[in-house]
Amino acid sequence: MRTASRVVGTAALLDGFAAQDSPVYGAERRGAPMTAHVRIARDPGRAFIWERGPIPAPDLVVVADDTLLDDPGARPLAGLGPAGALLIATAHDAEEVRQHTGHPGPIVARDFRSLGLEHVGSAAGGSAALAAAACVLLGLSAAAASAALRSELEVLGLPPEVVAANLRVAEQGRRGLVRLDLSTGDGDATRPTGRVVDVAYAPPEVGSPTVTAKPNTRSRRTGNWRVFRPVIVLERCTRCWICFVYCPEGAIALDADDTPRIDYEVCKGCLVCLEECPTHAIAKVAEGRRWDPVGAVS
Amino acid sequence: MGPGGGRVVRRMLTGNAAAAWGARLADVDYVPAFPITPQTEIIEQLAAWAAAGEIPARFVTLDSEHSMLTAAGAAAAAGARVFTATSSQGLLYGFELLYTVAGWRVPLVLVNVSRALASPITLEPDHNDVLAARDSGCLQLHAETCQEVLDSILLAYRVAEDPRVLLPVIVNLDGFSLSFTREPVELPDPEAVLGYVGTYNPRHAYVRGERPMAQGVAVLGGAPYSYFRYQAHLAARNALRVHEEAARAFADAFGRPYGLTDGYRLDDAELVLVMSNSCATKGRAQVDRARRAGIPLGLLRLRVLRPFPHDAVRAALAGRRAVAVVDQNLSVGAGGITVTEVAHALYQDPSRPPLLSYVGGLGGKEIGEVEFAHILADLRRAAATGETPPPRLLFTDAEAAQVRTLLAIAGKEVAG
Repeated sequence: MRTASRVVGTAALLDGFAAQDSPVYGAERRGAPMTAHVRIARDPGRAFIWERGPIPAPDLVVVADDTLLDDPGARPLAGLGPAGALLIATAHDAEEVRQHTGHPGPIVARDFRSLGLEHVGSAAGGSAALAAAACVLLGLSAAAASAALRSELEVLGLPPEVVAANLRVAEQGRRGLVRLDLSTGDGDATRPTGRVVDVAYAPPEVGSPTVTAKPNTRSRRTGNWRVFRPVIVLERCTRCWICFVYCPEGAIALDADDTPRIDYEVCKGCLVCLEECPTHAIAKVAEGRRWDPVGAVS
Repeated sequence: MGPGGGRVVRRMLTGNAAAAWGARLADVDYVPAFPITPQTEIIEQLAAWAAAGEIPARFVTLDSEHSMLTAAGAAAAAGARVFTATSSQGLLYGFELLYTVAGWRVPLVLVNVSRALASPITLEPDHNDVLAARDSGCLQLHAETCQEVLDSILLAYRVAEDPRVLLPVIVNLDGFSLSFTREPVELPDPEAVLGYVGTYNPRHAYVRGERPMAQGVAVLGGAPYSYFRYQAHLAARNALRVHEEAARAFADAFGRPYGLTDGYRLDDAELVLVMSNSCATKGRAQVDRARRAGIPLGLLRLRVLRPFPHDAVRAALAGRRAVAVVDQNLSVGAGGITVTEVAHALYQDPSRPPLLSYVGGLGGKEIGEVEFAHILADLRRAAATGETPPPRLLFTDAEAAQVRTLLAIAGKEVAG
C-alpha cells in the first residue's frame, strides 16, 4: 500500500499538482496493517502542500483488506465524512459493503486482491489495481497513473515482466471507473471537538511503562495479516516438532501426542513452518476474505 | 532551469532520500554508517550508489554509532569531506564523540533523523535527541521540508568548512513526518552544487606525509582548556554571519532563501507561534486559518538552533502582543527547552511580549485542532490581559481516554 500511495502521489505530480504522500507503520514486518496518507493540491498553481501528518477528514479512503473494517486497531473509516468516497478491495459487492459499514457516500468495491493473485501472482499485485482505480476516482490521467506505476515499481527493482504484469492488472483495476466529485472541502480543517486537559501525577505502578496483564499479545489478533494459511496435513506429519520450534510467533502448539495445532487467531501467515517441514506436511491455502479476520477458509 | 542555469529536476522524494541526495550532490569523500530506524534509508541509498559506482565516496559500515562518529571525525581530520547519519538512541550512543569531534574543529555533516528517546521506546519524532547535543559544539540546522533537508546539507558544508567556523554541523529532520514523507523536491544541477560547496582545503587538520602533526591533543590545566573551548564557541558565533553569507549565495545560485529563523505572515502579526522542524508546517496552516477568521497570527520557525540567533529572535518577537512557544521536547524537571532560549533572547528588551510555553508533539503525538485552538485562546487572553498561563503539556481529553484504555489493557488499575 505504501507503493500504491506513492503511485497516486507521483501521478498527481506528473499531472501538475503538488502532492505529499506519507506512510505510517510500526516495527512489525511485512503483512502488518499500515496506513498511508496522500494529499493532492486542488489548485494546480499551488507549489507545495503546507500540511503534515495523518489526514483527519479524508475525501477518499482506500482499504486494501476488508478485514480491517472490523479491526478496532485500524478503524480505516474514522474521519470519512458522509460525502466521502470509499474504495475497497473485497469479494463483497458495494451494497454489502454499504450495509456492513453504514457508509452513505460513494463506494467502489472490487476484488482487487484476486486480480493481483491472478495476474501478478501475489496479493501485492492488487495494490497496482487499487492505485490505478484511485487515480481514476481522483481525476488523475491514465497516462500519469501508468507512468507513475512504472517508475515506482522500477524504483523497487522489480524485473520488467513483473512491472508489465502490474501494468496489466492496473488496466483491469481502472476499467469502467469514472472520476468522482470529491470537492467536500478542506480535509485538514476539522472543527475542534474536545479540550486540552491536565495530566496528573500517577503512582509508579500506573505512571511507568510496565505491563502486568498476563496475555497481553494474545489480545491482539493478527490472523488477518495472512494472505495464505498454512494447513497441516496430519497424514504426512511425523510429529517431529520442527514447525513448533521454528514458528516465530509461538502460534503452533503441541497436543498431548505431539500433534501440532496452528492457532489461526495469531498465525500471521509467514509460512516459515511450510519452509521448514521436512516431510512437506504443511500446505498453503489462499485465504478467503470475509469480515471476520479468522473466519473459515472458503 | 535554475536561476543560475543548469539542469534542475523536480520529483517526489522522502526526507531520507533528500538527505542522501544532499550528500551525493555535495560530493562527499567518506560515509561511515550504522543503521537505525528511521534513518536507515539514507545509508541504504548511499550504499547502493557507492556499490553501483554512481558516487565516488568510500562507504564503510561500522560496529556502532560510537565507532561511526569516531571514523567520521578521524576521516574529517585527515582532510576528507565526510557525511554520516543517525537517529535517537544512535546519537546518544555516539554522544561522547560529538563533543570530541567538535573540539577537533572538523567540518563533517551529520544528519539526525529525530526520534523520541527511550524509555518508553518508540519510533516517532520529537527533538530531545538532537537538543541533547546542543551544548556539544556541533552546529544545528533544523529542516521543515524535504527540500530544506537537501538544501541544508549543502549549506552545512559551506558553513562548516568556512575557516571562520570549522565545526561539525548536525542537520535535523523529523522521523516519519519528513523521513518517510515524500513531497516535491528540486534536485539542483550537480555542477552548480559543486561550484557552491567548493573544495575543502583545511589548514589546521589534515594528513600530509611531508608535514606530520598531532591532533586532538590533551591539555592539563584550565587555561588552555578554556582557551580552546571558547575558540569553538567563538567559531560557532561566527557561524551566524557565515550562515547569512552562505544562505545569500545559496539563494543566488538556487533561488531559495534561508534565514537564521523563518517567518510566516509575521509582518503585521500581533500574536506569534514559535515552532521548529516539520510540525511548523502545521503552524503555517493554523496561521492561514486564523487570518481567515481575522486574527492577526504569525509564525516564527526556529531553524538555526546552534548558534542560537538571539538577535534575529529578538527582532522577530519584540513588540508583539503575545508569543507562544511550542516545544516538541521536554527537559524533564524544567519544561520546554527552546522557550528558555527565546526568553533569554527577549529578556533585555523592554518591549518583550508575554511568553507562553507549551510542550507538545512528544513521541510524534499529533498537535491537532484542539491544541491549536487552546493556544490561540491563551494567546488572545494574554494579549488582552498581559498575564501568562503556566506552562502546559498539549494533551487532549480524547488522548487521555486512549491512554486510560491502554493502561487497562496493560493490567493497571486506573481511577476515574
